[in-house]
Amino acid sequence: MPLDSSTYALAHLRVDGRRWKELRRIHGQMSTQAAADGSSYFEMGNTKIICTVLGPRQPTKSGGRDQSREAIIEVEIGVAGFSGMDRKKRSRNDKRTQEMQYTISSAFASTVFTSQYPHSTITIVLHVLSQDGALLAACINAATLALIDAGVPMQDYIAACTTGSTASYASNDEDADPLLDLNGMEELELPFLTMGTSGGEDKVNVLVMETRIQMPRLEAMVSVGLDGCKQVRNILDGIVREHGKKLLSSR
Amino acid sequence: MPREADPSNNEREFVLSALRENVRLDGRAFDQFRDVDLAFGEEYGAADVRIGKTRVMVKISAEVVTPYADRKFDGIFTISTELSPIASPAFEVGRQDQTEILLSRLLEKTIRRSGALDTESLCIIAGQKCFHIRADVHVLDYDGNIADASCLALVAALMHFRRPDVEVHGEDVTVFGLREREPIKLQMQHQPFCITTSYFDGGEVMLHDASLLEEQCREGEVIISINRFGEVCQISKYGGPPIDGLSILTCTNMALEKAKMLDKVVKAKLEEDEKKRDKGGLMAELRADNEREQG
Amino acid sequence: MAPYTNIPLSPAELSYLHTSLAQDPPIRPDGRSPTQFRPLVAETDILPSANGSARICFADGTEAVVGVKAEVERTGRKGGLVRGKEDGEVEGEERGEDGWLDVSIEIPGTRDDDALPVFLAAMLTEALLADGELKGRLVIGRVWHWRLFVDILLLSQPLSYPLPLLSLTTHLALLSTRLPALISQKDEDPLFNDDWEASTHLFPRQPTTNEPETKPPITLLVMTVGTNILFDPSSDEIAVADAIVAISATEDSKDGGLKMVALRTVDPPSRLTSAGVPTQANTTAGGGLSAEETLKLREKDAGATVWRPPRGGVSRTVLGRMIKKVVEKGGVGEEVLEGLRGVKS
Repeated sequence: MPLDSSTYALAHLRVDGRRWKELRRIHGQMSTQAAADGSSYFEMGNTKIICTVLGPRQPTKSGGRDQSREAIIEVEIGVAGFSGMDRKKRSRNDKRTQEMQYTISSAFASTVFTSQYPHSTITIVLHVLSQDGALLAACINAATLALIDAGVPMQDYIAACTTGSTASYASNDEDADPLLDLNGMEELELPFLTMGTSGGEDKVNVLVMETRIQMPRLEAMVSVGLDGCKQVRNILDGIVREHGKKLLSSR
Repeated sequence: MPREADPSNNEREFVLSALRENVRLDGRAFDQFRDVDLAFGEEYGAADVRIGKTRVMVKISAEVVTPYADRKFDGIFTISTELSPIASPAFEVGRQDQTEILLSRLLEKTIRRSGALDTESLCIIAGQKCFHIRADVHVLDYDGNIADASCLALVAALMHFRRPDVEVHGEDVTVFGLREREPIKLQMQHQPFCITTSYFDGGEVMLHDASLLEEQCREGEVIISINRFGEVCQISKYGGPPIDGLSILTCTNMALEKAKMLDKVVKAKLEEDEKKRDKGGLMAELRADNEREQG
Repeated sequence: MAPYTNIPLSPAELSYLHTSLAQDPPIRPDGRSPTQFRPLVAETDILPSANGSARICFADGTEAVVGVKAEVERTGRKGGLVRGKEDGEVEGEERGEDGWLDVSIEIPGTRDDDALPVFLAAMLTEALLADGELKGRLVIGRVWHWRLFVDILLLSQPLSYPLPLLSLTTHLALLSTRLPALISQKDEDPLFNDDWEASTHLFPRQPTTNEPETKPPITLLVMTVGTNILFDPSSDEIAVADAIVAISATEDSKDGGLKMVALRTVDPPSRLTSAGVPTQANTTAGGGLSAEETLKLREKDAGATVWRPPRGGVSRTVLGRMIKKVVEKGGVGEEVLEGLRGVKS
């Protein structure tokens, strides 16, 4: 079903009634599962992710001792068959999933102090329960929360969000507005990019874009994305502090 | 699992400190490519690209198949990427490793998802017959920067390729051989090129066309696909240490220049190849007093 | 080294566990009574994109999510003929096919074609299809039917045998499953009401009390040690089990009681003999011994101070008692169903 984006120009309201710079509802929980070392549940609109972190621990795969001087970060993403509109089973060797796994693992490899845990593995398992856009961004945010819950030392949060542009590449240049945090329907129709930042000062860890767009638009999208990531970061920070307070008061 | 040998600490340190003094080991400027050489094969759709020591060969082939049921009006276009031990002992046969998956995803995003090839033009009869264009990417020698080389080879091969002409009479389809009728060029909507920027020291040093040694020493990379009109088709910065948002925009600007450069190379080589093939039309070629090969 | 190496317990620990569980009444490590379940956290209707969903979190931290999705599918007719009265089928009778239910299980760390998920999926499918009621409900008309996909996700590492967790979660998810209301006539191309409020439950509910009239089956894991029967065994307890049986029970539509629909024995882990065990001591294959010799060895084992993995099967009377404990009035099965009834979405 193509998205009717023509009404945007009239009222500057998107299909779900948001303005261009509004995030969807973000909800997160930490320590959702007792069996894992760290776990989190993260919602970005209707995209829902459960993340568990196992480790740092001895590598489970046999084949001798791992000689590396740093911890290896393994990422497994399972996209549930019921997560989309139609039931679709995505195999684990799906190239898109593998690319996402690689992206997440290398993003955290530079933020986590991996040198603290030589010869060990940190496994991040992500379960996608429901998807409605911003899949990669939600996975990164969920992994951030779960890693914090697991007590893995990190330099900073990685906070991620998506940004898009209102017009596809062909139409006129001036009227295009950047949009923050696209939902699933908008993602199908509009060009967008996923961005993950850390440090709170415009440092980009992850930037993935898969759709065609004119270069001048990119600048606006990146700056809106940086701003969005800051908002997400504050929300994540709020979740962590909330969780910390709860932990302390329960003692 | 065989692995590429990591450079020693001394070697790494040497490369890095040289870069900090604005020197690359092979004496190139930071944004300079190694020599780019593009050659076409005897047949249509075979392109051989060398960037320095890296060498990639792409072969395009076409066959008539039934289109997918959910895409009745589109032809099929697939890209298959193979990294075999011929390129480097680090690659194994029949086993997909990270590099291969990332490369194939990259080409997929750059060429297929950006709609570089007009798949609708490959349809013969809606829902029944269409062309299946298959691109086989073979990396023959691996000395860094296979993304840029593969993408360049793929684009060049697609532009060079001619598919057989067809004629449709109701339900009957006649496919003409290359000798019977002049084969037809593929309809390309734009020509995107991958440009990899490797960065060191948190984005202080940015390199284009890194060699294998430089790739092993780098902190991370930003791969940008862009066409000569300045349309960005794909950006991937998979993790790695963070860099400034602004430097990514600088990267795109630099990538645009490089894409224009590569575009020119492809155009020039294609023209050259065309001239070589053009013997004054089919009639001239079939004449009995054709010029004989000497010797 | 004990021959059952994949259990991280020493022979002394195993022996202690076995003797305390074989006592009358048994003493369980966590102090539960034989029929008592561990506490669990459950919620239903958690996913907007699925027709029905549920999540259960056991006390040991294992967690599962089940999503049920229904899709409309054209009923395949053999030879293009519309099956009618010539098959001797009565007009209006609704009969479904087994293939309309699709259960898939994902367990982290295992591949999809590993034995464990395939076996568990087969066991759950079997129980769901046993009484034929569920598949009958998937019929829309003669031309169309629902196809039900039950995707079961184990979110944590499988700490203990995950069957009861998965079964209870599936039970809750199916109970919460709703199908959009049909507007079109029976054999037309189906047209559904967009209004989710108007949708009907897959397991119909009484309009007044909102209580389901029928319920999907539940599968419980029961283990024996000596003559003791223990419910909801933890992974430590399973390590010394004489026999483990999975019993599926469902409500009998006639008298409201429970009836057993499926039973499977599950190999206790102590039977997974590792390499290097002499044939005589191999409990799995029986070491090529006759039944008499096995019995003799069994007696010898019973006298030993070190616990040995059980030999031979489980006696029929114990099996009978197990089934009875599950299905009898006021038994464990009813207790579990009663407990799950309180789960709110």
